[in-house]
Amino acid sequence: QREDSIVVGTSTGATYQLQLLPVKLGGSEKRWVRTKPFQHHSHDVRAVAHSPTALISGGLDAQLVIRPLMEKVQKKGYDAVLRKFTFPHRRLVSCARKARLLLFQFSQHLELWRLGSTEESGKDGEVLPLCRMPEHLVQLKSKGPEHIYCSCVSPCGTWLSYSTASRFHLYRVRCDGDGVSLGKVQVPKVLPPAYQLQFSADSESLFVASARGAVHVLQLLEPGGCKHLHTLRPPSGCPEAVYLLAPSADGHWLAAVSGDWAIHVYNLKCFKHHCVVPTYSCAVTALAIHPSTNNLVVAYSDQQLVEFSIPEQQYTAWSRSVQSRGLHRCWLERDSPITHITFNPKHPSHILLHDTYLFCVLDKSLPLPDDSTPLMNQSTLKQLPETARKRQLHAFKICKKFQPLLFMDLLDENSLVVVERPIMDFKTQLPLPVQQKKFGT
Amino acid sequence: ISDQKPLGCWSVKHGQVLTCPVVCNVETHEYVAVHDDRVLRIWKNEDINLDKAFKATLSADVCRLHSLPHAGPLVLFRAGAVRTLDVLLAAPQQDIENVISEEAIRWSGAFMESQQPVVVFTTEKDGDFFVYVQKPKQESVHKYRLEPQELSQPLSFTAYLKDQSVTLLCLCSNDCVYKVLIPLQQDPEEEEQTLPKSLLLNLSVSGSVLKGTSLVVLDKDHVAVLGSLTAPDKEPKECLTIWNTKFQTLQTSKALPLGTSGQLWCYEEKFFLTHGKVLTVIMYKCETSSLAAAVGKLKDSQTPGVTSCVNWNTLEDEEPVVSLQSQESVDLKAESRMNVILKPGPCISELHSISLFQDTPTNVLENKLRHLMSKTQTPDLQATIGSVVTALANRSKANPKYYPQNCLLQLVETRDLSYSLCPDLMALALERKDMYLLQICLQRFPDIPEEITYACLETFLSISEAHLQKTEVDLDSVICYIDVELRNKEVKTEIVENGFSEELDQDMCDTNIPKETRAKSDAESCPVGPQRAALLNAVLHSAYSETFLLPHLKNLPAQQVILFLRYLYYLYVKCSEKVNTTLPGVRSPTINQIMDWMCLLLDAHFTVMVILPEAKELLSNLHKFVRAQVRFYSELNKIEGSLRELQRLNHLRDSQSYSIEVLEII
Repeated sequence: QREDSIVVGTSTGATYQLQLLPVKLGGSEKRWVRTKPFQHHSHDVRAVAHSPTALISGGLDAQLVIRPLMEKVQKKGYDAVLRKFTFPHRRLVSCARKARLLLFQFSQHLELWRLGSTEESGKDGEVLPLCRMPEHLVQLKSKGPEHIYCSCVSPCGTWLSYSTASRFHLYRVRCDGDGVSLGKVQVPKVLPPAYQLQFSADSESLFVASARGAVHVLQLLEPGGCKHLHTLRPPSGCPEAVYLLAPSADGHWLAAVSGDWAIHVYNLKCFKHHCVVPTYSCAVTALAIHPSTNNLVVAYSDQQLVEFSIPEQQYTAWSRSVQSRGLHRCWLERDSPITHITFNPKHPSHILLHDTYLFCVLDKSLPLPDDSTPLMNQSTLKQLPETARKRQLHAFKICKKFQPLLFMDLLDENSLVVVERPIMDFKTQLPLPVQQKKFGT
Repeated sequence: ISDQKPLGCWSVKHGQVLTCPVVCNVETHEYVAVHDDRVLRIWKNEDINLDKAFKATLSADVCRLHSLPHAGPLVLFRAGAVRTLDVLLAAPQQDIENVISEEAIRWSGAFMESQQPVVVFTTEKDGDFFVYVQKPKQESVHKYRLEPQELSQPLSFTAYLKDQSVTLLCLCSNDCVYKVLIPLQQDPEEEEQTLPKSLLLNLSVSGSVLKGTSLVVLDKDHVAVLGSLTAPDKEPKECLTIWNTKFQTLQTSKALPLGTSGQLWCYEEKFFLTHGKVLTVIMYKCETSSLAAAVGKLKDSQTPGVTSCVNWNTLEDEEPVVSLQSQESVDLKAESRMNVILKPGPCISELHSISLFQDTPTNVLENKLRHLMSKTQTPDLQATIGSVVTALANRSKANPKYYPQNCLLQLVETRDLSYSLCPDLMALALERKDMYLLQICLQRFPDIPEEITYACLETFLSISEAHLQKTEVDLDSVICYIDVELRNKEVKTEIVENGFSEELDQDMCDTNIPKETRAKSDAESCPVGPQRAALLNAVLHSAYSETFLLPHLKNLPAQQVILFLRYLYYLYVKCSEKVNTTLPGVRSPTINQIMDWMCLLLDAHFTVMVILPEAKELLSNLHKFVRAQVRFYSELNKIEGSLRELQRLNHLRDSQSYSIEVLEII
């Protein structure tokens, strides 16, 4: 802000800070001096930003690095640590629960897989033999050079849609015997590209999030057609696009988050705006509506969790008690945001959440942990006898077995599907860093 | 607040007046209100009509209601009596006694102290202020008088509970905040006490004065004051201010141009105040108070770990004593002066004076010393012991026959001493050839000058083996690894653990060096006796700086250099036998210490060692051994690299698979 510091990124992956410093201490003559070299990227640095206390850089090695400037950081704490983010904080995988299909979104194509299955059962930690191998059903290449922005598969597995920056596509998936074919569905011409896509729980409608806070509701028609039903807009208007959607299981409600972090809840029975969740000063990273209570669970980028009752239009008692107690320090100091929330219909008090490094079963019926108790206590609990466990139990049941975690969802009452993406996997796929001469020096 | 809507609203009938703030009983989620001074109302969230709510008419006027977590609401009556709501509801028309006589309650507060509710309130009568402490469960009342202040009146009170006593802060009309400590544990027979006030904060900043109207306590070092800031030639303006009481600074202020009601509330790091016609909520955060933060130059708020430190004032006081004493060895005046200056306790000063007298028998001194040691650690004990040691050392210097070895050993072993605290001690021990004391000093003192370290080393290397056999030293550091039968060559037949075999190594190297067998025995058996080894270990253990040690080390005679180097070589070979390259036992030298000393010694005597014929085979053996070790470690590095690659490949293969696993979440 005082125009005395610049950050530059280079093609070798290094970032430099240049500072305007006086030649002599107290002298008036000043020169730009290259002060701090940092080498955090293996590839070309493509974007840099300079915050008051940190240098932020993003590179072709798929990493975002926040390097705090130690002289600007006053306290040893959360801000004073180097942070690296590898995964985008968005959902790249979607799961068709009933059909047991997974849709993977890549930059230029989509892959649809059928999950394998087993007939065995076993003890904790055992790997079960597969009776059916996972099956790669279909690969869908997007046309043109544009990257796929978002994608979704319907819960029944018969519909598939994706959107690029300029166009929105919808497909009907047909399974005939072993083969799978895709049929393109004509979509209304007026429909703009989507920022987020979400099918309703009964797979009968599709919600398309688009610019200026609007959500388009499409009715899906058999054997392969669709009709624009309604456009939901916040009553006061909104300049930002909607980027997250959460429909309720009973098809009654839809929550939409726009770029100004306002959460609007719509009534789908009468296509009316229902209420606004009190705005919070942080971005919403994930939200979901509980299938039986219609409570909206929201995760924010500062790791706060709230539960908002849609029918009563107020925070639930549990949410208020969480807010007054405060969450565990270790939970608040995590790096990566919660990217997906889901529920287990068999255990209504459970909330399932995950970020890049852990997934958590949040049991609302258990007491919250305080800072003096360890947050990650699963391995300790496993060693304790049944009787001693009772006293140690707390609401956060965290599993860090699967890392880095791209996606987690509940398949049925007893099974979860977890998608890991080893960082080495795509690091090795990155092309070699290229030294490119851009200027005639 | 983004969700602005009233969650509930209740009103009394026309003509009725709510006479004190309504409280919420968090245990039962009930609200309690008093209207028309004596009508109590209790209702729940679901009740819409206040008129139909539970009603009880009391026999006396209510002053305030207080709600405490984990205890029912408390009712404070105008007459000063306190009842819990339960007791009151059992018999609403019960008699309420008069506690205060013609005094008016100005402020009240309630606290939980050892699971008991305590109500504290202040009253006023003709400009005199009183404080009452009531415990309704124990039915006890205490009255205190507040120390009167000339020309100023308390305007606002606030209080907080800390360490079983209530701290009352009062904002006075002279723009100062005073602190009053109110004891909660009190003898019931005690008469009316006057509580002293102490100035906590002066609400003035560079010419302008804050006319405060209310204050709240934020944490142990911060208070917030609402008031109007008045400067001599400016319009007064209302503002909310946060003050640091530790450094008497104004931390921040926020102007409130629309005016306030003069009231300020604080709840969960938020201020609540009326600003104009709206209720304003202001969030705040108090950083840990430090001087740097107070002057706005905070760099790092991390507090350094608590370390015990020397009280320099005590040391300074003692210095004249020491110098005085060295000038006049026996002087009664010195003793009396010492008694005056040193005041840690009769025992220490007595001991000190005893050590001045030449004729004190050693056993008396020892007894005194034991008594002193058994005492608990006082802050200046360390300094006192330092001066006692110096006194003893001086006495021994003056009298060649006197040497209280046991006393000195005991004193050094308290671990509280350092070289700088008694600089004469080690010189004395060197003079008297007290190897044990030197060893203990080397182990304990963190700050021995390199000159003294070298002098110790020289003495340890030069002293005759016969003399050493007789002396007692601490053998802890050598007992675990030194060969028991020193000259028995058959002992070492086992294969060394880390794969190094000397036979193999010597096959690989050129074997032109004569007397190969002797060299082997050199490396195998310890070249020095266990006593000397223990002493040398103490030297290896002491801290040093290379630059200061090297000039002294150059003076070491060649024969001693070779002996020491041989011992170091022996240690090095011993170290390498184990996978973890550490020697067993307590305070045994580490491999780094051995290597450093070896390098130092070679650096200091390089030319001599090259010329000296006796050194030749030792050096060549050392060279071979080091080379073998280097080769061995480079092979290990290669293996490590290969293993890591294997692990990586293994991991890659693992991660590509699809699996169904059982996971138990408790």
